[in-house]
Amino acid sequence: MPGVKLSNGVVINFDGSAQTLLEALERKKLEVNFHCREGYCGACRCKLISGEVNYINEPLAFVRKGEFLPCCSVPVTDIEIEIP
Amino acid sequence: MAYTTFNRQINDQMKEPMFFGNPVNVSRYDQQKYGIFEKLIEKQLSFFWRPEEVDVSKDRIDYQNLPDHEKHIFISNLKYQTLLDSVQGRSPNVAFLPIVSLPELETWIETWAFSETIHSRSYTHIVRNISAEPHKVFDDIMLNEKILERADDVTRYYDDLIDGINLYQRCGEGTHTINGETHSISLYELKRRLYLCVMSVNVLEAIRFYVSFACSFAFAERELMEGNAKIIRLIARDEALHLTGTQHMLNIMAAGDDDADMAKIAKECEEEAYAIFRKAAEQEKDWAQYLFKDGSMIGLNKDILCQYVEYITNSRMQAIGMKAIFSTTQNPIPWINTWLVSDNVQVAPQEAEISSYLVGQIDNEVDGGDFGDFDL
Ligand code: FES
Ligand SMILES: [Fe+2]
Ligand SMILES: [Fe+2]
Repeated sequence: MPGVKLSNGVVINFDGSAQTLLEALERKKLEVNFHCREGYCGACRCKLISGEVNYINEPLAFVRKGEFLPCCSVPVTDIEIEIP
Repeated sequence: MAYTTFNRQINDQMKEPMFFGNPVNVSRYDQQKYGIFEKLIEKQLSFFWRPEEVDVSKDRIDYQNLPDHEKHIFISNLKYQTLLDSVQGRSPNVAFLPIVSLPELETWIETWAFSETIHSRSYTHIVRNISAEPHKVFDDIMLNEKILERADDVTRYYDDLIDGINLYQRCGEGTHTINGETHSISLYELKRRLYLCVMSVNVLEAIRFYVSFACSFAFAERELMEGNAKIIRLIARDEALHLTGTQHMLNIMAAGDDDADMAKIAKECEEEAYAIFRKAAEQEKDWAQYLFKDGSMIGLNKDILCQYVEYITNSRMQAIGMKAIFSTTQNPIPWINTWLVSDNVQVAPQEAEISSYLVGQIDNEVDGGDFGDFDL
């Protein structure tokens, strides 16, 4: 069960009850920006400080190095992220 | 250098830059330099919708009952959006098609611009329904100072690019005397105009529409003008794709692998790029001021909307590797996000009735008495 560590120290377990990282963050009442929730608008962009995520569907939005889209991804290892 | 609709030069399309290489000859998609544009085309096609599929007949009654200052907000936004989509329905074709060198990008540009024509047609659908005199709404766009002020900045970069391309494709690089006037152009200058143009289009689609979107959804939160909101959601869904397209172009340009000049230009134009974002944000804040000049609407006022402009401007800038210019970090209207989620958008025929384009056509379920003294 990969852990998701936020830059403010909070740690969430990604236990499979949420479909995506965005959902997992929202369940913890964390406010992450979103629009499409489908990987094509880029509104949910967050920083991926360490670890690896997998995309459920390949996103169309531009993702630069060190960033990821939580709306369409799941962690494959423990990850450390920053919500802008 | 002159444009040709079917370039006879046998070239390896995989080695062409996005722009200013050989004109495209064969429209082939078996090989793609940038697969992302093909994916954007597919997505855009899957989004296809027609304005007539959305029943807006209840909006007419809602609109009649709006207080005057809210009517002003609603109709002014529609006029502004009409201007923006008028520009977007033609300009990507006119500006970018003569200089594009990749088939998948060429087709993306055409697909993109086509979807804008649907947006334009949807405004007529909306206006015909709420007003017995739609011509007055459209006629005012060319007279309304507040809208014309914006038109200048929205079109300037397109026009500069198109003007430069015309000169370059007719006469080539250098200084030319045409009808007694001297004009000069270089390929590098053209590339600069292209970069700034794509930047300004990104601003148009990623920021300028959102004040208006916010107002439409604020009405719909009160269960008013819901047909309109449904159409705006479909438009917003398309726009999200378009802005992703220009973000990709800008990022490819700045990286420099596609065309080393473009990376240099991106650096040289950095200040100008910041200025384009800043000016657009200021203009949109002015627009919010104009919208609410006679009073706010429930759930939205000038200050909240201005904060939202700042918030969205920051986020759009960061998406293309720029730094945020405003201190706002919180979305002041988080409820807008649920209106922008794509899977909630439904235009299944069973869900929305096909309504007619005929002026005065009304939905059967609406009680005629509801129209009061509204003359058909
Ligand atoms: S919400 Fe659109 S890409 Fe994640
Ligand atoms: Fe549009
Ligand atoms: Fe658009």
